[in-house]
Amino acid sequence: MVLKLYGSPFSTCSKRVATVLHEKQVPFELIVIDLAKHEQKSAAFREKQPFGQIPYLDDDGFIVYESRAICRYIAMKYADQGTKLIPTDLKGLAIFEQALSVEQAHFNPSAEGAISENIYKPFFGKAPDPTVFEAHLKKLDEKLDIYELILSKQKYLAGDELTLVDLFHIPFGYSLPTAGSDIMNSKPHVAAWFKALVDRPSWQAIKDNIHSTA
Amino acid sequence: MVLKLYGSNNSTCSLRVGAFLREKKIPFELVEVNFAQDEHKSPAYLEKQPFGQIPYIDDDGYILYESRAICRYLEEKFPNQGPKLIPTELKAKGLFEQAASVELNNFEPYAHKAVFEKVFKPYFGQTPDQATFDKHIADLGARLNAYEVILSKQKYVAGNEYTLADLFHLPYGWLLAAGGSNILSDESRPNVVRWWKDITSRDAWVEVKDGIVKSNA
Repeated sequence: MVLKLYGSPFSTCSKRVATVLHEKQVPFELIVIDLAKHEQKSAAFREKQPFGQIPYLDDDGFIVYESRAICRYIAMKYADQGTKLIPTDLKGLAIFEQALSVEQAHFNPSAEGAISENIYKPFFGKAPDPTVFEAHLKKLDEKLDIYELILSKQKYLAGDELTLVDLFHIPFGYSLPTAGSDIMNSKPHVAAWFKALVDRPSWQAIKDNIHSTA
Repeated sequence: MVLKLYGSNNSTCSLRVGAFLREKKIPFELVEVNFAQDEHKSPAYLEKQPFGQIPYIDDDGYILYESRAICRYLEEKFPNQGPKLIPTELKAKGLFEQAASVELNNFEPYAHKAVFEKVFKPYFGQTPDQATFDKHIADLGARLNAYEVILSKQKYVAGNEYTLADLFHLPYGWLLAAGGSNILSDESRPNVVRWWKDITSRDAWVEVKDGIVKSNA
């Protein structure tokens, strides 16, 4: 049975998974969840995803949620096809885990916070607070200074090969200009790294809209 | 050379690694980083840990930081020593990754901020704000409602076996009470209470919860 991704064609976390599905050349069907009608908060949806969030994956009855966990599962299950996205040697794997932890602890809170302030809030009819937005950007800038240092020594975040952790940065990183910040372009090595990611066919295929490929 | 853990006797993230090392009975030496003198911000320290945070490990010259990554690396390195804390079978591992991601997205942000407000702020001479703390606890409570559903069907967060995903919750979960919240003992979520009692009774946590006072190297 073809993989079913329950999510939204425009949601950042759904795009995180869709990019990886494309990298691994895994056909999938997107089942669109009606966010406007709060379908993700319904009892039926919560049976599958108890936190009431999108996306989740149905792999022939096996349910997985949390976009990064879904991506890891796909990369593990389809290890032998498409782009290699998880290192297999012990030390390479450890640096990969270190970089993944850095993405969630250091990059995501500020990037998502900034986008939440300037894109999501207006979407829900609330006024964004410029002070909050600037505070997120200031913190993100400090973290990206360290990314600049790391990326001056190696091509990608976990070494010289692309891995899942680089791809995880794309959805929120890509939306920062729309939110009003060119920060991903502000440091030479970070800019080159990010441009290479965004230029990949896997992101280009889904950046504006996710379509089923099965 | 014995594994060196650069951290602090009672820092949350050092305790996360400390509890893991005890579970796996991996000998280590705790090297105290002098927080009060901002040692973690010194150029020498930043060479090893560019984000200026604790802990990091030195495994015979191999440096790794981020407490969860350290635990994962050592679990890979010592898979047959002590309890197995990351499943290897594909679907079980997928569910483990799901639970580990849930911890980072649905538990940590709220627990960490609540603990920071009431427990850490005074340490830095700042005044805690009760309303802010209460909001973080309320937000955590909403997520724990989902935990209650999950834990009504299985013993631990990733399935019926204890894994790293459970262990990762310990340090900040433990400090919520110090901040004034007994949310993890709230009997309106009996399965969360059962799970929390279980994982905080494990020897490895009991031995380090008041400080990694004795390293077993």
